[in-house]
Parts: sequence; structure tokens; C-alpha cells
Amino acid sequence: MTAVIEVQNLTKHYKDTNALDNVTLSIEGGAIYGLLGRNGAGKTTLMSILTAQNFATSGDVRVFGEHPYENSRVLSRMCFVRESQKYPDDATPRHAFKAASLFFTNWDQALADRLIDDFQLPMKQTIKKLSRGQLSAVGVIIGLASRAELTFFDEPYLGLDAVARQIFYDRLIEDYAEHPRTIILSSHLIDEVSNLIERVIVIDNGKILVNEETDAMRDRAVTVVGDAAKVDAWASGREVLHREELGRVASITVLGHLSADERAGVAASGLDLAPVSLQQLIVRLTQKASADSAAPTHESQEVR
Amino acid sequence: MSRTLNVVRLQLINKQTFIWVPLIVLCAAVLMSVLIYAMIPGNEPKYGGGGQAPLWVFFAVGLSAMTLTFPFSQAMSITRREFFVGTMITAILGSVFMGVLFLIGGAIEMLTDGYGINGYVFHLPWLWEAGPLGAFIVYFTLALFFFVVGFTGATIYKSWGPVVVTVVGIGLALVLIGLVFLVTRLEIWDQVWQSVGDLGALGLALWGLVVVAVLSLVSFLAFRRAKP
Repeated sequence: MTAVIEVQNLTKHYKDTNALDNVTLSIEGGAIYGLLGRNGAGKTTLMSILTAQNFATSGDVRVFGEHPYENSRVLSRMCFVRESQKYPDDATPRHAFKAASLFFTNWDQALADRLIDDFQLPMKQTIKKLSRGQLSAVGVIIGLASRAELTFFDEPYLGLDAVARQIFYDRLIEDYAEHPRTIILSSHLIDEVSNLIERVIVIDNGKILVNEETDAMRDRAVTVVGDAAKVDAWASGREVLHREELGRVASITVLGHLSADERAGVAASGLDLAPVSLQQLIVRLTQKASADSAAPTHESQEVR
Repeated sequence: MSRTLNVVRLQLINKQTFIWVPLIVLCAAVLMSVLIYAMIPGNEPKYGGGGQAPLWVFFAVGLSAMTLTFPFSQAMSITRREFFVGTMITAILGSVFMGVLFLIGGAIEMLTDGYGINGYVFHLPWLWEAGPLGAFIVYFTLALFFFVVGFTGATIYKSWGPVVVTVVGIGLALVLIGLVFLVTRLEIWDQVWQSVGDLGALGLALWGLVVVAVLSLVSFLAFRRAKP
């Protein structure tokens, strides 16, 4: 596979912070990526620079092998759905979709119509009068129906209820299966999208913390459940990410990959292995990284 | 190029902005002017400035083309150059439309002797000195000028914030005052009025087009670094 996105030493400096701090990243095509991180971690800034909506302070960006700025060859293959997208004052959803059909060569009107139905989007109201959820639906529909080779969704679900979010995830997977492309989904609802995303990119404080397959990421830690005393004994000497206790039963998430032998050992001692929540894992890793960044140790190197 | 022309279609998807709103404002201005003329006693010709009303719409359109349509165009993966050129073409088309309306209005006033009450909104003698084409160019230039001022102002605002817009505004005002001061000091007001008279409305409009071109260039340079 070839890299769709290549980022070299990218830095974006605002007045008093580095939104992106010397980021080097390569993203290969044909997968759904989760771009995860806290508010202000640099997700939107990264996507804005990749789509030439914002400008880097230093460093280099290549999309489809070229710089995207003022480059319609590259831009026409991309679609960036922003959380706070602005629309012309008197535009209705109908106008917005008409415009999208003019500029996205793969635009699928049938898919758009189906999504309009799914989200029960009123087509004749001006966009500025839509509710927050309906506004998000407009963006989601443009992002899906444009079927761009490289699509960015930046927190696309704001204001959408659980049913509408599920519709989005289902349609995304369906359409992706029929028309494989590269999708980068930035989200706070990590567990909700964890079944969707094939690779995880975690960004924190403008630095890339993780860039690996979702399954490999899950393998980084393991949760053991069982009798509290036994669990604690087993976990001693390991790096505990999280511990919960209810009565005499404890559940402990520890960092580190378990070999088949170790797994067998856990089972033999009457303990259970439970799947690790991606959200928990990322929350702990992010907290650990910010704790480490005060005094950089070998840990932060390992995490990266 | 086709993407640039699609920007024109994008701007015109909603006919309201460039066509219906200016048209409604113009019709309303004419109606109000005629009503007011009808109240004025006497039979001498009555002239008014109601025709400038839709020009302010163009100022607002220029402003919102930058603040709202530009961010949307970025979501459509349009380059800044494509957006700028396409939007300017749309503004030129809109200004041509206004110019044609102005001519039609003038023709109606000539045929009806000023709506039967000798009142004029479009057929102002000074503007029509150089014939219909001259009048068209004057009105076209004014509409385009208002649009470009709105667009440039909004671009400067978006790129550098309200302080810079204010400073630029104050700067321009000071330059104008400086010119007035110079003319007064050199006691050449007579010559100035003389040459303005010699230029006529058409001559001024042609200079206006030069100003529009310069403003557009400034606007484009600032716009190239604009963020949605």
C-alpha cells in the first residue's frame, strides 16, 4: 500500500501554544482511521492543514504525493466535514447538496436521498434554522455521499441522538464496504467508534501518541477479573492502568501483552480475561503521557 | 476552469442573493421615490437618489460572500483562487444585471415622462450625459465597487481582525482629509471641480474601474492566506 498522507515535522504555532508539535505521520490508504484525542489536542488543526484550510508554521505535508494548498488536483479528491461548518446565510440543505454535487465527482445523489430520509432532514428550511443535530446531519450526508477518496469527519455527530449516530455508523460501514476509500474520523465517543475503526491515531498536546491497528492497540493491555485477592496477587509487579472493585470481585486492567502461556495461566488460576475498553486504554495512556511529559522518561518513548 | 465556473453556479444556486433581493430593494426604492415625488407640488423635474439603494445590497453580498460562502466553498474542496475568480465573475454578472435594470428604469422614465409626474430615479441628467452606454458603465462600476469594498473589508477582517479593519478605515479617511487639505492649501478647488466636470460621470466611472481593479488585487493577495 502507498501512503495517502505524509506529514514531516509539522508544527503549528498559535500565540501561546503549539497546536501541533513536530508531528511526523504517514497514513496509508484504504482504511478507516480513528483520530482520537482530547479537546485542543490538535485534531482539527491537523485535518485543516491537510486540507489546506489552515497553514503550517513549519514542516511539510503531502496528500496523494503533492502539497494540497491551491492544488485542485489534490483537493478535488478530498472532503472535510467540519464540526462547525458554516453555510451561506440563506442556503437550505437542498442548496448545499446541489453545490456538493457540482464539486465532488463521485457524488451519489441516490445515497444522499436515502440519508436525507434516514435523518428526516427538512430540505426547505434554511440551514441556519436547523437544530444542532440536523446541522450535523447535513455535514454527514455531504461527507458520505461525496464519496471522496479521502474523507475527514471532524466530530460529525454533535447533537445527533443515539439512533441517528447508529445510522451514521451503519451507512458509513455499508458504503465503505462497497466503495473502499480512506476515512479519517475524529471522535470523542471512542467506544462508539471502536468497532468501526481499523487503525487508531491518538494525538495529545500536539504530538502523535499512538498510530497502530485497533487490534494491536487492544493487545497492549488486558483486563483480568476475579477474586480480589487473587487478582491483586496476579497484578503485582505489573503496570496497572485501572482497578475496579465490587464486593470481593476486582477487575484490573494492566499494560502489556499476554503470551498464550500467560493467558492459560490466568485461566488456570480461576481468573477471567475480559476485553479492554479502547476508551479506557486511551484515557489512561493520555493521562500517563501528560504525567510523563513533566519528567520525560523511557515510558513516553515506549508509548510512542 | 470548469471548477471556477462551478463557483459561479454555486453562488447562483440560491437566486435570492444576487438577483431577487437587489431587485426587490430597487423596486421598493423606486416605489417610495415616486410616492414622495407625487407629494411634491410643482411641475419642475424631480430627481432623487433612490437608485443607490440596491448598491448597499451589493456591499452586504460582498461581505457575506467572504464570511459565509467562502467557508462553505472550503468544505466543497475549492481552491482559494477558484473561489475568488468565480466569485468575481458572479459579481460582474450581478453588476451587469444591475446596469441593465438601470437602463430599463431610465427608458421607462423617458417613455412615461417620469411616471407621469416628472420624477426621476434613474434618468439623472448628469449620469446620462454620455448616453445609455455611459449610464450603464456608471451603474455597473458602482455596483462592482460596493461588492469589492465589502469583500475586501471582510477579507481584511478575517485575516487580521477588527483592529486592522479599523486602522485601514482610519488610514483611508486620513488620506482623503490630507487630499482635501492639500487642495485647500494650494487653492485649486476651481481646477478640481473643473476637471471633475470635464471627466463627467463616465470618466469618473472609468477611473472607478481602475480603483476596483486595484482593490481586487489587494483583496486577492490578502485572500490567499485567508482561513475559513
